[in-house]
Amino acid sequence: MAAGFKTAEPLEYHRSFLKENCRPDGRELGEFRATTLNIGSINTADGSALVKIGNTTVICGIKAELAAPTVDAPESGYIVPNVDLPPLCSSRFRPGPPGEKAQAASQFVADVIESSDVIQKKDLCIEKGKLCWVLYCDIMCLDYDGNLLDACIIALLAALKNAQLPEVTINKETDLAEVDFQKKNRLKINRHPTASSFSVFDDSVIIVDPTAEEEGLSTALMTVVTDEEDRLCMLHKPGGSSLSGEKLQDCINRAVMRNREVSKLIDKVMESVKAKK
Amino acid sequence: MSPMKLCVPGERLCSTEDCIPGTGTYLRHGYIFASLAGYVLRKNEGEELPVISVVRETEAQLLPDVGAIVTCKVTSINPRFAKVHILYVGSTPLKDRFRGTIRKEDVRATEKDKVETYKSFRPGDIVLAKVISLGDVQSNYLLTTAENELGVVVAHSEAGVQMVPISWCEMQCPRTHAKEFRKVARVQPEYLQA
Amino acid sequence: MPTDTKRLRGPEESQSPMLFLPPDAQILKASSRDGSRGHADVRPIFARCGLVSQAKGSAYLEAGNTKIICSVYGPRETERKDETDMKSGRLLCDFRLAPFSCLKRGAWIQGNEERDLSVALIESLQPGVCLHRYPRSQIEINVVVLENDGSILAHAVTCASIALADAGIEMYDVVLGCTLRQDGDTCLVDPTFAEESGNWLGGYGENQGRVTVALLPNFNQVSGLHADGEMREDTLTEAVRTCMDGCHKLYPVVQHALLRAVKRKAPPSVK
Repeated sequence: MAAGFKTAEPLEYHRSFLKENCRPDGRELGEFRATTLNIGSINTADGSALVKIGNTTVICGIKAELAAPTVDAPESGYIVPNVDLPPLCSSRFRPGPPGEKAQAASQFVADVIESSDVIQKKDLCIEKGKLCWVLYCDIMCLDYDGNLLDACIIALLAALKNAQLPEVTINKETDLAEVDFQKKNRLKINRHPTASSFSVFDDSVIIVDPTAEEEGLSTALMTVVTDEEDRLCMLHKPGGSSLSGEKLQDCINRAVMRNREVSKLIDKVMESVKAKK
Repeated sequence: MSPMKLCVPGERLCSTEDCIPGTGTYLRHGYIFASLAGYVLRKNEGEELPVISVVRETEAQLLPDVGAIVTCKVTSINPRFAKVHILYVGSTPLKDRFRGTIRKEDVRATEKDKVETYKSFRPGDIVLAKVISLGDVQSNYLLTTAENELGVVVAHSEAGVQMVPISWCEMQCPRTHAKEFRKVARVQPEYLQA
Repeated sequence: MPTDTKRLRGPEESQSPMLFLPPDAQILKASSRDGSRGHADVRPIFARCGLVSQAKGSAYLEAGNTKIICSVYGPRETERKDETDMKSGRLLCDFRLAPFSCLKRGAWIQGNEERDLSVALIESLQPGVCLHRYPRSQIEINVVVLENDGSILAHAVTCASIALADAGIEMYDVVLGCTLRQDGDTCLVDPTFAEESGNWLGGYGENQGRVTVALLPNFNQVSGLHADGEMREDTLTEAVRTCMDGCHKLYPVVQHALLRAVKRKAPPSVK
C-alpha cells in the first residue's frame, strides 16, 4: 500500500526517495519540471503570457493606462505588479482578499522589478511631470503545484516582452494627449531576470523546483534571481534552516544555468509568435 | 471483449424493465439515467435482472457513511473525546479531509465508564474506526472503535519509534522497551506500512 | 473610497488610453457579423477537462475569444452549519473576472457584477446536481474569466457543468448555457462583447435586452433564465426558444470533451 504510506507518513515517503538521489515524480534533485510558455493569447490585454512549470500554471496580463507621474519622480512611470492566488488554483486558498502567500509573492515580484531594472521607469514617461504609463501587471495562478515565484517571473518577463503600447503624443495647442492605436511600440526590456527556487530537506538535501508537497515538507525555501549577465538581482530566503556558503554558491550556479534555459525558451516562443503573424 | 460503452450524465441507459439501477445512475419516469460520466457496466448478481451502473476509473465521490470502516489520524484528545481526521473510507483515500470524533464511551465495548482517552489514543496515531452517525448540527462524524478489529493500528512511542502491539491495551517501543497504553486493533500493523 | 492594503497599488488615478481617442474613432464596431456567422449561430466552442491538477475536476472553455476556466473542489465538509444544509449538499461559487479580461482594466476586489454572476451560476446549476447524495458537504465551483468577449454567464454555466461532471459529482444532466442579444427586431445569438455592449444603432429603443438560458438538454428543461432590458412578451418567448436551440448545438462538443476525459483514464477492471 504505497499510497497509504504516502498519505500517512508523507515526510518518510519523500526521504525514502531522496536517499536514492531521486524524487517521487522521477526527477533528479537538480532537475526542473518541463516548462512551457504561451505568449499573447489574451487579446484584451496589452501583453500576456501563460507559463506552465510541470502542473503549476500562471498567467500574466498587462494593461497599460495613463496617469500623472508623482511629484517626487516626474520622469518615471509606474509598474504595479499583483499576484493573485484564487481558490480556483488549489484548495488551500480561500475566496476573499489575498492571503499572506499572495501578498508575499506580489511584494517579491515588485522587488525583482525594482532591483533587476527589468524596465527603466523613465522609459514609461511620456511628458515630464505630466503624463506617463502605468503598467498593471496582474498575475493569476491557475494551478498551484509549488514554485509559484519562478513561474511568476517568467510570465511577467514574457508578458512584458509581448506588450505593445499605442503611441501617445501631447498636442501642443490643446495640451491634451492623443492616442494613436494604429502605431504600436514595444517596451524596451532592459534586463532579463529569471528566478530559480530551491527547497531544503532535513536541513541538508537541496532540491530545485519543488512541488507543492515538497514545499510543505521542506525545512527551508530559497529563491535566487539572476539576470542574463549572471548578476545576482535578488536572494529571497524566508526563514527556515541555515545554509552553508558553499551550498548557497551551488544554488546560485544552478540559477545562472536556469537563466540560460529560460531565456532560450522565451526567445524560441517569441520567434514562433512572430512567424505566425 | 467489445469496447465498453461510455456515457455522460443525463444519458438514458435503459428501462427499469431491463435492469436494476446501481451506482452512478438514477431513476426517472421508469427509465434509468446516468448521473456520472464513465463506463456503463451490466452485472448479473443472481437476481432476475442485471444491475446497471456507471463507474469511473477514479472511485466516485465516496463520503463516509454510517457503518463504513474508516482509517483516521488522531489530531487532538481531551478527557471526553478524541478528534480525528478521516483519511480513508474502506481502502479509498479521501481527497479532502473530513473531521470525526471518537467519544469516550465509544472507545471500547466493555467497561465503558472506565475508559480514559489518554490511555487509548495519542495525537498522530493511525486508527481504524467505524462510522456510527453523520452527527448533528454541532458535531462532526461520530466514530466508534468498540470492536476487537478496531482501534490503533500505527503508533509512535515517545522516542519516535513505531511501536509493536503486545496486548489489546498496550504497545511497546522496540528501542526503549517502554510500554504505552493504547486501544489496540487486532490487525497486523504491517497492513498499512507494507 | 476604501483602500486595499493587501495589494500593491499604483497611482491614485489612471485612465485607459481608450478615453483619449478622438470621439469619432470607434474601437467597438457594433454588430456586423459580416456573413462569417449568421445571427442565429453560436460560436464554435472548444472544451477540455482536467487542466487544473489540484482540483477534483476542472474544465477550460473557449468560445471565440471568450476564455473561461473552472475548477471544482469537494465534496468537503461544510463550513457553515445550519439546520437546512444537513440533509443535502450545497454549491458554493467564486466567480472572478481577471483584471485583464475586459477592455477596461477591472479591479481586483470582487464587484457587484461578479457577485451577481456567481449567484446566477449557482441557480442555473443547482437543478442539475444530485445534491441529496452529498449530505453535510459543500461543493465549490471556482470560475475565472480570462478573457471576456461576451456571453460569459452562458459559457460559465457550460464550463462549470463540464467541470462538475469531470469531478465525478453526480448530476441529473449536464447544464448548457446560451445568451441572446435582442436589438429591436434583430436578435444575435451568443453575442460578442462588442455586440453585447456596443452602441446600439438607434440608441435605447424598444425591444432591447439580453436573455441567458441554462438548459438540461436531455430533458429539455430550463434550469435558469436571466433576462434584462425591455422586451415584448412574444419576443421574449421567441428568444428563450432560440436560446434553447443554441444550447442543443453545444451538446455534442460537451459530450465529446467528457468522454475524452473518461477514456484517458484506464477502464475499470471488471470483477
